[in-house]
Amino acid sequence: MKKKISILIIFFVVAFAIALEAGRQESDEYSLLHPTPLKLKIPKGWPKPSSDIFANNPLTEEGFQLGRKLFYDGRLSKDGNFACASCHQQFAAFATYDHDLSHGFHDQFTTRNAPPLFNLAWSRLLHWDGGVNHIEVQALSPMTAPNEMAENVDSVLQKLRKDTSYQRMFTLAFGSKMMNSQRMLKALAQFVGSLISSNSKYDKVKRGEDKFNAAEQRGYELFKQRCNTCHREPLFTDYSFRNNGLPLNDFLKDYGRMRITGNVMDSLKFKVPSLRNVSVTFPYMHDGRLYSLYDVIDHYSKGIQQSATLDSSLRKGIPFSEDEKNDIIYFLHTLKDTTFLNDKRFSQP
Amino acid sequence: MKRKFLKNYFLWLALFLLSILSSFQQRNTAAVNDVHVKIIFVNNIRESKLILNDSTYTNPFDEKYTITKLRYYVTNVSLQNGDGNVKEKKSYHLIDESKISSQVINFSVPAGDYNSIQFLLGVDSLHNVSGAQTDDLDPTKDMFWTWNSGYVMAKMEGHSPDSKMVNNKYEFHVGGFSGPYNVLKEIHLNFPRKAIHFEAGKKYEIFISADINTWWQSPHNIKIAEHPTITTPGENAKNISDNYANMFHLEKVIPE
Repeated sequence: MKKKISILIIFFVVAFAIALEAGRQESDEYSLLHPTPLKLKIPKGWPKPSSDIFANNPLTEEGFQLGRKLFYDGRLSKDGNFACASCHQQFAAFATYDHDLSHGFHDQFTTRNAPPLFNLAWSRLLHWDGGVNHIEVQALSPMTAPNEMAENVDSVLQKLRKDTSYQRMFTLAFGSKMMNSQRMLKALAQFVGSLISSNSKYDKVKRGEDKFNAAEQRGYELFKQRCNTCHREPLFTDYSFRNNGLPLNDFLKDYGRMRITGNVMDSLKFKVPSLRNVSVTFPYMHDGRLYSLYDVIDHYSKGIQQSATLDSSLRKGIPFSEDEKNDIIYFLHTLKDTTFLNDKRFSQP
Repeated sequence: MKRKFLKNYFLWLALFLLSILSSFQQRNTAAVNDVHVKIIFVNNIRESKLILNDSTYTNPFDEKYTITKLRYYVTNVSLQNGDGNVKEKKSYHLIDESKISSQVINFSVPAGDYNSIQFLLGVDSLHNVSGAQTDDLDPTKDMFWTWNSGYVMAKMEGHSPDSKMVNNKYEFHVGGFSGPYNVLKEIHLNFPRKAIHFEAGKKYEIFISADINTWWQSPHNIKIAEHPTITTPGENAKNISDNYANMFHLEKVIPE
């Protein structure tokens, strides 16, 4: 009899312990699944990113896929019309194709040319003026700008919470269906930070898988002599902020980096953009004022406006003969990465 | 004899399991000799409690104004004793005049003698550059600049006939975490008597008042007519922060 009581006690204690342990777990069916870790592949011969953008945001397949869905979802904007992808189109290397300025809420213009999105793990500061210091907080800017997506983050989250597919995807990525701004922003950062473009003809030539033709080779030699200081290989930018001699646009009155630092020495300085995929990211410059690559080369040849903060390497301009112009543009076309532009992994889910 | 041993064996096993269970449950509770401390912030205009929206105040330059919004970050709170200091873990608090619950900070310290309290007025530079945060640092709290990443450390908004902006609005969004215009302020307040003994098992309340009238003057004059909107990092924001660094006063420390 006493033995039976003892066994009963043990039975209850064990049952209680199991129940307690189970209660600590999420009751959700997905909680037993672990997200699949991913590793950002650094292309061979490239420098290491200056900081690990995924240090506090472990990259996973589920996080990436959630970010991808968010990137293509118009509900991130006030009227449902403007997904991230509406200004960042894959076929334009995630810039806005053929637009100097993009369109936002209520038929408004943006104030700058949408930059292409790739290789952002190497870019310590984001935006033309470097105002954004971390990839996770970048999306807040277009999402809340009244002339872009014009939405507030709480309202976006309210919309997403009603969607069972998001409940499922947040659970798969983060272990529970809780949706907050941090999870949404981290997922977006996983998608956008994973966009790597490293398979252009130039890359294949560098890997010994292809050869430049004569004009491309002449263009590459010219490039190394005249452009490589700022548009440094292999990322084709040194991520510095420079005044490249564009006169101030009187309507936009955009002084670039100075708005962020408050330093007059930064007047009219903008981030040096990467030249990868440059043949599909026209029009060019921070406000899209130059339509073609010929216009850009002409600007450096004979359009430089002198000013106190003009980059010292541009004081005399960079002259190009007509033949040289053609050659350098042939070379620039070898930076187009069709693998990246057509990568199904990055397309609308 | 053998049966008795077996019975004991089961009882011991049951006791053993129970003790494991109770240790599970104790994991999250504070140690027995800890003291619970409640810090209460009271926002005033001079000596009287600040009233949002409905009260009209006069600043040192005879400018009339109302306050519709008042928020500031109190972070990395610690109490000092002779040996060093006891820091609150994960300590980021947005004090919001419109939310009474936000004006109280709870934390635990070991029993002992304490003589002062210290905190940062603002968000440390690391958390301005570390990506998306949660809780009081969540960007949805409307204290994060999206165009120039970084936190608004303190915010005051209202109306004044001396403002020539739309609807006579004035707005101070004070931020900037690096360089010459860093607005972060380390605040150190001594207890009224030299040191106070915090007895184990008791609760203590620390009352801190903030005189918002200090924002306008000393060392820098901030006139609404001249600066109705200060909403970017820079010299003006730094000047306001030099002023409001003097706003706190430790009123009393009492057992609850």
